[in-house]
Amino acid sequence: MNLAKLKPGQQGKITSIGSIGPLKRRLMDMGVLVGEDVKVLKVAPLGDPIEVSIKSYNLSLRKKEAEGIAVEVAG
Amino acid sequence: MSTQLKLKDEEVQGEVSGQSAEARVITVAVAGNPNSGKSTLINAIAGTRLHVGNWAGVTVEKKEALFDFGGRKIRLVDLPGTYSLSPYSQEEIVARDYLVHQRPDLIINVVDATNLERNLYLTVQVMELGIPVVMALNIYDEAQEKGYRIDTAGIQQMLGIAVVPTSATKKTGLDELLGTVLHVVDAPNLRVPKRLNYGEDIELASDYLAKTFQISYPALLQRYPQRWLLLKLMEQDSHVMKELGLDNLAFLDQALHHLRRAHGEDVESIMADARYSLASGLTREVLQKPELRQTELTEKIDKIVLNRFLGIPIFMAAMWLLFKLTFDLSAPFGKWIGAMTDGPFKRWASAILTPLGAPDWTVSLVNDGVIAGVGSVLVFVPVIFAMMFFITFLEGSGYMARAAFVMDRTMHSIGLHGKSFIPMLLGFGCNVPGIYATRTLENPKDKVLTALLVPLMSCGARLPVYVLFVGIFFPKNSSTVIWSLYVMGILLAVVMGLVFKRTLFRGEAPMFIMELPPYRMPSLHSLCVHTWEKGKHFLFKAGTYIFAVSVLVWFMLNLPWGVEHKRDSYLGQAGAAIAPVFEPVGFGNWEAASSLITGVIAKEIVVGTMGEIYAPKKDEKKGVPSLREDLKEVATTFGEACVKAVKTLLYLPQAEEKEEDRGGLNLAIQGAFTPLTAYAFMAFVLLYMPCVVAIAAMRQEFGTWKWAGVGLLYQTALAWTAALIIYQGGKLLGLGG
Repeated sequence: MNLAKLKPGQQGKITSIGSIGPLKRRLMDMGVLVGEDVKVLKVAPLGDPIEVSIKSYNLSLRKKEAEGIAVEVAG
Repeated sequence: MSTQLKLKDEEVQGEVSGQSAEARVITVAVAGNPNSGKSTLINAIAGTRLHVGNWAGVTVEKKEALFDFGGRKIRLVDLPGTYSLSPYSQEEIVARDYLVHQRPDLIINVVDATNLERNLYLTVQVMELGIPVVMALNIYDEAQEKGYRIDTAGIQQMLGIAVVPTSATKKTGLDELLGTVLHVVDAPNLRVPKRLNYGEDIELASDYLAKTFQISYPALLQRYPQRWLLLKLMEQDSHVMKELGLDNLAFLDQALHHLRRAHGEDVESIMADARYSLASGLTREVLQKPELRQTELTEKIDKIVLNRFLGIPIFMAAMWLLFKLTFDLSAPFGKWIGAMTDGPFKRWASAILTPLGAPDWTVSLVNDGVIAGVGSVLVFVPVIFAMMFFITFLEGSGYMARAAFVMDRTMHSIGLHGKSFIPMLLGFGCNVPGIYATRTLENPKDKVLTALLVPLMSCGARLPVYVLFVGIFFPKNSSTVIWSLYVMGILLAVVMGLVFKRTLFRGEAPMFIMELPPYRMPSLHSLCVHTWEKGKHFLFKAGTYIFAVSVLVWFMLNLPWGVEHKRDSYLGQAGAAIAPVFEPVGFGNWEAASSLITGVIAKEIVVGTMGEIYAPKKDEKKGVPSLREDLKEVATTFGEACVKAVKTLLYLPQAEEKEEDRGGLNLAIQGAFTPLTAYAFMAFVLLYMPCVVAIAAMRQEFGTWKWAGVGLLYQTALAWTAALIIYQGGKLLGLGG
């Protein structure tokens, strides 16, 4: 399962980050780390990007970027 | 990207021997996350003393202020807002290069109290530099309203840095903050932040590395903050490795061997984890949130604003309002300034110069060169101020990020960022505010690319040219023809966007990892300070170039001395010289070429120049109004402008303006152009090099002539090619030439 596939309201725990280089570092700098809880809040009206809640703030990212983030869906 | 950052004005760095502590300028760098209220804080502290410029060689804005506080001189240097100090974004490199190489006396770290954990991640990195740090715990009022309890003493104790709660919007805690800065600068025992423990494995590796380094590269340890250098080496920070000329260090692998075995290959991730663990650990210790979490205002607003069905209509409405406010509100004032410089100012100049026995040409130089030049700068001031004000409001309120969120899908499909939409939209009113609005884009690639495409949006100044030609050649379907030109601009922007992506901006696509900050009401003071900074900067910096070109054109029109016919002026000669270039595109005559030259000042001037060339006006001898009448006119027309601005906003009916009679010009143009060449000419006017003001704006925004030059060249080439295709294609289709 990856973050791009979660529906609004669904929550998960990050299990790995597949991206590399600057994108990976940027994600990590924004708090997207393995083990972190993440919740999808919204999908933009045109279907991309998505808004997630992580480390108690809201972050938006494109689905393509979210695809590299593997998550384990909690309940 | 520049590895070495050189500041324009080399300043007092460190203590100069023989100077007393009081006389020394204390350099304080301000670091913080975007949306942490850093700009508002700096605006509140420094106000109009802020000096805005660019960091040398990069398209990142630099703000500085020098002021006195508590009998001491403080220089505040605002670092770009960053989430981290990684080596990947231009902002981050600028910030860290400044901190490492310029070594400020102290760093104020602005931290958003409502978003502690992510902000502390930067704090941890800032502390690695071994420079004294004072934390401004900003947006503290909002945190308290939310019921957050933050143990500031706890932060102080655990990090070993002073913490001062502040609210930049309410202007509280600012004096305490500066007082603490002075206190820390003067107290040597408070100077160095604690060395935080990054976990046993990292510390072991770091110790090992430190020992090896002391033997092999003792000089480097002197030159750089040791803790920072070692951590960067362990991260194998590409920027640092390159700067030091070190790579593939065998002992580095040895140092990292155990760390990698225990935690995995990717040391950069291990370090990020370690830093975030410190940030989250600290947050858990010092922050108490209320048990019951209320639905926050931001959530409620976003439910509507980002709604699947309402999101786009709301966005459209917001954009329409932004466009309307920016242009309609400022237009009457722009016109007023134009009328003033054209009327009373020129009359006053003549009234002063003529009795002094100044020759006619001096009067003309002052009036049509200098005053007209100043006027052409001043007419832009209202629109720039209005645009900056509303854009800053959109950013500060948090809606800008939502607008980008809503529009990103569309803009991304043509290789741009969601935030590119607003500059493009403003471009239809005037390219200049459009170019300035690219500052809202964080990534330099996105920023430059957007600015290069904005001038393809058909701005208001092109309209008079279309109206003139369409009225003569396409009276029956005037709106369709004008519409086709707007569409041509948009389509070519899409094409050029894709071309640039594959040429000048090759490489990984910029990402879209953007915080959606909570909605906040920006402080009016900060909005005004920001608007004023940018407006002032435009006036004096961009204004100089515009003014110079305007005076130059006057000389071209009036030299050699005593020139009778416009054909013989330098402008006419230049026009005649370049006319052959326009032969294949259908308007190879000196009149059209000359008007295109003057059109560089502003595209609507093409019409004025054509008027002067094709149908020179006889000097009208009107009665000269007295000074008193003039002053009255200045005041009453300003009043009228205010009324008009309000009326436009409220959609009240207004008196139509009188159209100038252009009978003679129309006839002359009818003789010189055909419908086909007229269309090719209009396309050329739409596309050829941006006006001087737009070029000056690009020069100023990007701190280099490079991008302005690229814009100038590609657009002119594009214009010529488009006109060629239209003219030659039209001829082939038998549309007549």
